[in-house]
Amino acid sequence: MLSPTNKKIQTNKNFHKLVSLRRRVSWSFLLVLLGSYLTYGLLSAYFPSFLARPVFSDGIVPVGIAMGYAILALTFILTLIYIWIANRYFEPLERKIIAELER
Amino acid sequence: MNISAIAMFFVFVIITLGITWWAAKHTKTRSDFYAAGRSIGGLQNGLAIAGDFMSAATFLGVTALVYSTGMDGMLFVIGGTIGWAVVLLLVAERLRNLGQYTFSDVVAFRLERKPVRVMSAIGTLAVAIPYLLAQMVGAGALIQSLFHLPYNLAVVLVGVLMTLYVTLGGMLATTWIQTIKAVLLLTGGTIISVGVMAMLNFDFAALVTAAVDVHPKGSAIMAPGVLFTDPITIISIGLAFVFGTAGLPHVLMRFFTVPDARQARRSVAYAIGFIGYFQSLIFIIGLGAVVYVSNNPEFLTADGGLIGGSNMAAIHLSKVIGGDLFLGFISAVAFATILAVVSGLTLSAAAAVSHDLYANVICDGDSDRKTELRISRITTLVIGLTTMALAILLEGENVAVLALIALAIAASVNFPVMFLSMYWSRFTTRGALAGGYSGLATALVLVMLGPTVWVSLLGFEKPVYPYAYPTLFAMLANLICAYWFSVSDKSQRALAEAESFAAQWIQSEIGPVQEKL
Repeated sequence: MLSPTNKKIQTNKNFHKLVSLRRRVSWSFLLVLLGSYLTYGLLSAYFPSFLARPVFSDGIVPVGIAMGYAILALTFILTLIYIWIANRYFEPLERKIIAELER
Repeated sequence: MNISAIAMFFVFVIITLGITWWAAKHTKTRSDFYAAGRSIGGLQNGLAIAGDFMSAATFLGVTALVYSTGMDGMLFVIGGTIGWAVVLLLVAERLRNLGQYTFSDVVAFRLERKPVRVMSAIGTLAVAIPYLLAQMVGAGALIQSLFHLPYNLAVVLVGVLMTLYVTLGGMLATTWIQTIKAVLLLTGGTIISVGVMAMLNFDFAALVTAAVDVHPKGSAIMAPGVLFTDPITIISIGLAFVFGTAGLPHVLMRFFTVPDARQARRSVAYAIGFIGYFQSLIFIIGLGAVVYVSNNPEFLTADGGLIGGSNMAAIHLSKVIGGDLFLGFISAVAFATILAVVSGLTLSAAAAVSHDLYANVICDGDSDRKTELRISRITTLVIGLTTMALAILLEGENVAVLALIALAIAASVNFPVMFLSMYWSRFTTRGALAGGYSGLATALVLVMLGPTVWVSLLGFEKPVYPYAYPTLFAMLANLICAYWFSVSDKSQRALAEAESFAAQWIQSEIGPVQEKL
């Protein structure tokens, strides 16, 4: 059923590298982010008093707000890392695959 | 009457009409009309995506939520950003690699074209039309209080401009208008936040202390649970943001305006930067309004509420920060925001009718370019006229339910179907239809039986379904039906669909390679 080009891609080593790298990166990042949001959601449903506590014992800013901003910062950082990995690994692999197909 | 607001808004309209006139000259092919000729770069598309998402609902609505409930708004602030990570990590590259103009292209890649296109088009319209209507009714009320125009005139103004932008300028004009508005909104939000923080010597703790001192609910605003207390509601809101974002048809359409998957990836990364930044400002603006607006008699009605409702919190705060001139700027930006977002929504609805229904279902994928574009423009006109009429009829009604329906349907119809078609080899046409329609039906029925319609609109005493948000159960209904009707599908068609997954998978990973060779 697969076209000749697709058959070649399917057996290409670099294609497998690309697919498994992207899979590992995307799903682990996603797990971290959704996990942190879920944690925040569950805390606000079941332990609201924990989110209301100040971060430092003598401080004013509550845990919930600090946590919210921390999750935003985490999203930023993981996005930057993802783009870095894409530039550093995905794109060279893609170019290699195309070059190997042209041969 | 605020002269500076009117002047600035007038300048915006002149510039956008100029852009539309220029875009109209460059809009000839289908790819021009639906996808701006695939000519948009990552940075600009990122701004435009951010613009599509930062609607008046975010800017004014979430600010109002923080203003009245404090920390409960955080659930929206985080959710609005994290939904984009889902788009980046799971959807953007594959969508660009597999599709042409709409997300239905992806669903129809290996499934039976006609029935799944009809379903995706219904999913698109079921998100776009209620969302559009919610924006129009909100716009009418907002413009009424900002510019002192009669409600009906405001609605007609928004409707006419939106129809002009989309019919003449297509995606190219819509993208530029969205970009300009995003820059204006980010600038405005930054100035308000810096203004608030400057008055407090850039001490965030002082902002929190002052807000707790002033707010009638006191320290309760620095704890969750003022508005959302039960886990089902919290999880439903979370799901609607996390997966609804990746199911908004007008946003998904943006990924086809860039040349390739690499630029699609970059657009979302930029968008996450802009959206995350803006969301973090929202919290400061909301608390700032508590401190500087809620106790200022200039902005209060006789019974202690805000003049124009709590949605006006950010607008009033802008007057505190920069006087009448800045108030005028923010009012003009709010108007521009509404215009840009309704244009994007209208375009996605028009594409669902002309590309998905007309070209691929009626003409079987072989449509005449001129006729298809004419149908798209006629659809835009029809949508413009209908939403104007409906918005005028709905004056003063609580339209929050419409926005609720839109995001719930995006999360429980469009996203699961698109996601499963991309990732699950055994997903079949039968599973897609069963899942999509059951998600749609569950979402609609639960909203009807919930507190917003059953109690507030229909006047019954107790809701049959006690939660305002249907997303959790509607998504589950979709996933369960999609799974069951796919794995139990033993037809020839299902076998062929499973077999053609390999080719789709390869193209989703690396793009249409044949073109590059």
